[in-house]
Amino acid sequence: MEGVLYELTNSLYINLIREERYLMLIRGLRVTLEVTLYSVLLGVIIGLITAVIRITEPKGLVRLATAYVEVVRGTPVVVQMVIIYYAILGGSNLPKVLIASIAFGINSGAYVSELIRAGIQAVPRGQMEAARSLGLTWTQAMRFVIVPQAIKNILPALVNEAIVLIKETAVVGYIALDDLTRAGNIIRGRTFDAYTPFLLVALVYLYTTTTLSIFAGKLERRLRESD
Amino acid sequence: MIDVIDLYKSFGELEVLRGVSTHVGRSQVVCVIGASGSGKSTFLRCLNLLEIPDRGRITIDGVELMEHRKQINKLRRKMGMVFQQFNLFPNMTARSNVALGPSQALGMSRADASARAEALLSKVGLADKVDEFPNRLSGGQKQRVAIARALAMGPDIMLFDEPTSALDPEMVGEVLQVIKQLAQDGMTMIIVTHEMGFAREVADRVLFMDQGVIAEDAPPERIFRSPEKERTREFLSKVL
Repeated sequence: MEGVLYELTNSLYINLIREERYLMLIRGLRVTLEVTLYSVLLGVIIGLITAVIRITEPKGLVRLATAYVEVVRGTPVVVQMVIIYYAILGGSNLPKVLIASIAFGINSGAYVSELIRAGIQAVPRGQMEAARSLGLTWTQAMRFVIVPQAIKNILPALVNEAIVLIKETAVVGYIALDDLTRAGNIIRGRTFDAYTPFLLVALVYLYTTTTLSIFAGKLERRLRESD
Repeated sequence: MIDVIDLYKSFGELEVLRGVSTHVGRSQVVCVIGASGSGKSTFLRCLNLLEIPDRGRITIDGVELMEHRKQINKLRRKMGMVFQQFNLFPNMTARSNVALGPSQALGMSRADASARAEALLSKVGLADKVDEFPNRLSGGQKQRVAIARALAMGPDIMLFDEPTSALDPEMVGEVLQVIKQLAQDGMTMIIVTHEMGFAREVADRVLFMDQGVIAEDAPPERIFRSPEKERTREFLSKVL
């Protein structure tokens, strides 16, 4: 028993404390959260534009929007990110966090556009009619009446999208970005311990996603109350 | 003031309006009655082009609506509309519901729009509810906010689409009271309703719609006491 305990504290010491390795995990988590946050923001912007295009169906743009959603949903995000990194943005001096965020934002936007589209279509038709009957333009009605309600409908789903992104961004190591997963990988390379670093990484992911999903639950309940 | 000539509207195979013509003068109150499916709501919704008629002409103060569809937003400001399901904006307080039109469509300052909203909400008896959200209001209160919202644009005409049909019986009175007050103020109104007593009391004319046309058009006394058409008699015997 004592032997096991010793082994455990020893490996924790080596993988976490020595050479202040816990700092690598913290920095990694920070990168993960940054990429997630920017991706969600960009995803919402792209998703909103795409959703509006797919709802209003202006000529020419619909096909583009549909193609975008199809391409994004039909290819792995790692591949998309590497292509964006090397082929499109590789020559620029943009920080890697930004490049990863652009890749994940574009990816997430396709999924978010479907969320927003459903959210907008869930707003009763009478809302648009009431707004238009006041003499508001379509754009004004969308901006002040429809979209705020749609956002409210989909907020919990957006938090879930953020949770998904926290986990999905674990592949940003492919473009040499030191996120949480890559931090675990680096520690493993130094300590030759395959087990402990990733166990720690898993715990940090789990803690972060659980916190967010508790938040999502509370948000959902509060939004339902105000209905 | 409003001239409707030979209005036709179909939804797919279903012909809802089959040649509706009428005239409504300034300050007239016209109630539209008829069975469900007779086309009365569609007729009302065509008047501010929430539904686009297939054929026919709608002229308001000499302006033909269909020829001026580009200016429809401007034309709609002259017509307030009140819906059966209230259609209040749930994301806004009563005040913001009423102020949205003036501030966005009329370009009024925030303070002016808010002051107008307060004045109108007190007019419909809701001075103490200005900062409540719709989900905290009763059906009757919601419909009164909706009326204030429509009035906020300073319309010349008010269109009511079964304004009391979604209300609990004990709340019908307070809404009808507000509409009566508007009638006394000289507002031009077209009211689709199932409240026969109210129609009798407030209307200058009652239109009975049947199968997509106006089957009978007469002052309330005549239509309720001695209707000319067999169909009108049949309908009234069922609802009175």
